[in-house]
Amino acid sequence: MPKTSNLLSPELLARLEKMELISRKIFRGRMKGERRSPRRGQSVEFADFRNYVAGDDLRFVDWNTYARLEKLFLKLFLEEEDLHFYALIDASLSMDFGEPTKLQYAGQLAAALGFIGLIRSDRVRIETLDQQDRGHAPVFRGRQNLWRMLEHVEQIEPGQTVTLTEGIKNFCMRNSGKGIVVLISDLMDKGGYEDALKYLSAQQMDVYVVHVLSAEELDPDIQGDLRLVDCEDGDVAEISVSPALVRRYKQTLAAFVDSARDFCTRRGMVYLLARNEVPIDELVTGFLRTRGLVR
Amino acid sequence: MNSISDFINPVRWASSLGTNGLFWAALAAVPPLIVLLYFLKLKRTPLEVPSTYLWHKSIEDLHVNSIWQRLRKNLLLLLQLLLLLLVLLALLRPSWKARQLTGDRFIFLIDNSASMQATDVGPSRLEEAKRRAAERIGDMDSGDVGMVISFADRARVEQMFTDDHGRLQRSIEGIQPTSRPTSLLEALKVASGLANPGRSSQDVTDFQVAEALPATLVIYSDGRFDKVAGFSLGNLEPVFVAIGDSEARNVGIVAFNVRRSETSADQLQAFARLENFGAEDVEVDLKLFLDDHMIDADRLAVTASATRGVVFDLGVVEPGVLRLEAATGDHLSADDKAYAVVNPPRQANVLLITAGNEFLEFALQTDSSRAMALVDVKTPEFLDGKQYAAIAAGGGLDLIIYDNCAPKEMPQANTLFVGSMPPAEGWSAEEGTPFPQIFDVEAEHPLMEWTDFGDVKLAEGTALKIPAAGSPLIDSDAGPLLGVAPRERFEDVVIGFSLAVWRVGNEQGGLKGYIGWPMSQSFPVFVRNMLGYFGGDPSQAETGGFRPGSPVVLDNPSPKTELSVRLPNGKTERPRQTASGKSSFTETGDLGVYEVRSGKETVSRFAVNLFDAAESDIRTDAAPSLDIGYVEVVAQEGWEAARQETWKWLLGLGLVVLLVEWYIYNRRVSL
Repeated sequence: MPKTSNLLSPELLARLEKMELISRKIFRGRMKGERRSPRRGQSVEFADFRNYVAGDDLRFVDWNTYARLEKLFLKLFLEEEDLHFYALIDASLSMDFGEPTKLQYAGQLAAALGFIGLIRSDRVRIETLDQQDRGHAPVFRGRQNLWRMLEHVEQIEPGQTVTLTEGIKNFCMRNSGKGIVVLISDLMDKGGYEDALKYLSAQQMDVYVVHVLSAEELDPDIQGDLRLVDCEDGDVAEISVSPALVRRYKQTLAAFVDSARDFCTRRGMVYLLARNEVPIDELVTGFLRTRGLVR
Repeated sequence: MNSISDFINPVRWASSLGTNGLFWAALAAVPPLIVLLYFLKLKRTPLEVPSTYLWHKSIEDLHVNSIWQRLRKNLLLLLQLLLLLLVLLALLRPSWKARQLTGDRFIFLIDNSASMQATDVGPSRLEEAKRRAAERIGDMDSGDVGMVISFADRARVEQMFTDDHGRLQRSIEGIQPTSRPTSLLEALKVASGLANPGRSSQDVTDFQVAEALPATLVIYSDGRFDKVAGFSLGNLEPVFVAIGDSEARNVGIVAFNVRRSETSADQLQAFARLENFGAEDVEVDLKLFLDDHMIDADRLAVTASATRGVVFDLGVVEPGVLRLEAATGDHLSADDKAYAVVNPPRQANVLLITAGNEFLEFALQTDSSRAMALVDVKTPEFLDGKQYAAIAAGGGLDLIIYDNCAPKEMPQANTLFVGSMPPAEGWSAEEGTPFPQIFDVEAEHPLMEWTDFGDVKLAEGTALKIPAAGSPLIDSDAGPLLGVAPRERFEDVVIGFSLAVWRVGNEQGGLKGYIGWPMSQSFPVFVRNMLGYFGGDPSQAETGGFRPGSPVVLDNPSPKTELSVRLPNGKTERPRQTASGKSSFTETGDLGVYEVRSGKETVSRFAVNLFDAAESDIRTDAAPSLDIGYVEVVAQEGWEAARQETWKWLLGLGLVVLLVEWYIYNRRVSL
């Protein structure tokens, strides 16, 4: 490969190549028999025979059967049924924190999952919550589109104009089909994340919520008398840092994470808390694999 | 420490509350202010975070008791309050033993007389006195005014009243030791000037010139001086700080002079007397130098509290400076050296004009008189000759004696008129009086020194009218019989009675005796005094000299040139000269030999020596006290145990607290 990307390293790409995205919902309803094998292209998978009617493509006539039975049968293969994979990235200003920033981390994760999708010829679409304002998001399919997809991800800048709820509502109205949707967000929205997730769960999609938090949020290392300024709405919280306050903060954070996990689990969504310091390959090959998104 | 009033300086406490309560109120308001500032928290570090969502939730339930939690948890605030407490304590100036320092006006009298050079305490008594005075000034409240006076035999105002304590300290630093005797009276008069103002006039309707300003008088001295009589302290509150050790040792030279030998006039003898002011017998090595060459040495054992004399036979010595050094190793070195000057012998030129006066001529022909003066005798006819006119106008003579004759005009010389009147303004005589009774003799005048007129009976006398500038030396019931008056740079002496001798017969016609001045011992003494006074007595010039600080009358033989005096320390002073050619020189504070010069020529030398038993006796009383007027001022006791100031320690501790606070702030150490 002539090109490299700082989103995904070649080593990671090599490991991701062997993986595939799994959608529990789509296959459960649609598949005949117990096929849970991945699709291998339009002419490989045999599905059924049917009688030849005039006008059928002679290329699909099963000549072996004709030789034996002297009847024309048409060999039916699996219809090409691809998987819709959506990665939904929260590009709010609050995501622009941490080292690497949560937004960069989200982009990496989306690219990694998208790459798996590309390898398996899935339809991959990576959007931000305010994608409506940014313009139409391209759909990628096939590994030849890898670089286009990476470029697209790299172009995502922090700063969006819509709230979490609004963004997801817009997304659901635009994409009514089935598929896998991975929401990558810190869920830090003053309006709450519950409404947003309800929209997603109503979509009949296979929903994954990756809750990205930076190390600073999980384990704040601050001292003194501070005036905390919210980067999104400029809201101010005056605090005098004391061990008791830090303890209190951690309790609040744990409660916040727990309630989000409960909320998702109860609605059939898969919740995953991701710390921005965990390497992306570890996240994909480890945590997401155990959660059943990939294998 | 006995109580809290001992701990916290009661004086400052009381005076401060009275005059400066506002200040303390302001100080007391500082701690609540600091706490308030902590709540207001003027400066918080802004920090941008992804979201304040969780923080708001976290602090919501902490808000309820956050004030007390902040106070409890904030180490920095606690440290600041501690620092403030220490500073406040330091401002209270706690001390372990507070001195009763009352008043707000202080006059510091510092003794810098010779005895204060003693080294029995500190570097010297004067340095110790300066140190203690400086310490006392340091204890003064701001706003208190002080005045510094140094005194020996004269008082000198080093610093007028000021509230600038730095200037007071500097003026104390500048006080130099002197070799002068001590007299407290003048210093007291200066000090009382402001405290006890007099009336501007005797008129009872007059107001006082100035309001009386009471002051505390702090006297730093060794107390080696007599009672101060005739002084009332009035508004002055005296405090006596005794400096010195009652065990101080000193052996001093109390006398040193040079005399011509009784037997031969060209032989000189030096006499010295040493006194031991200590409690132990000592042996003293004496060395005698003439112009820095040692010419004699001796060892003298002086018993405790006793004096010993010693005589050095010098033989014939060249004119020069004699210096006697005593190796005593005691506490006062100023009296371990003595100086005497051997001036070249000089004889007075005297002209006696008389028709014949047996007694006077005889008195001028004695050995001692001949040693002092060359006497030329002429008859009254000589007055008319050209030679006399030349002599009278030339001024080469020291003295002309007119016996029962008078010149037409006064000569350029000192004169003595016997039985006649000088042709000068102011002099006149009244009618003769028989048997005048002498009742007063001005014995302090050099002419009348050692004379005793108790046995003098006169047959007749003429009362004199003396010029206004003159003074009578012998007074009688008839009037002044002997007077002296200045004339330009000379002096005229007139004797208003004859130098004859009368036979006194008894009732049977036989001889009862003789009366008349020449029959008395006082006559040759007077003649000798006269030769010495007008001619420059060689024995006088060779004596031990003068006391420090005493005025010396200098005679300029050639009045046209300026007189200058070279001091022992090498400096040169130019005394102001009067029209008579005499000048009074008072800068005799230093010990040593002074050289008098007229132009470039050395005219004479004189020595200044301590020779003061009061100053040499440096032992202080076991319980020192001063008698001022009718007040006895007892020295303060326990002065050495000066109070232990603690404010410096408190401030130092505050500094440490400040450093700890700074460290904690920077290291962001939290509880």
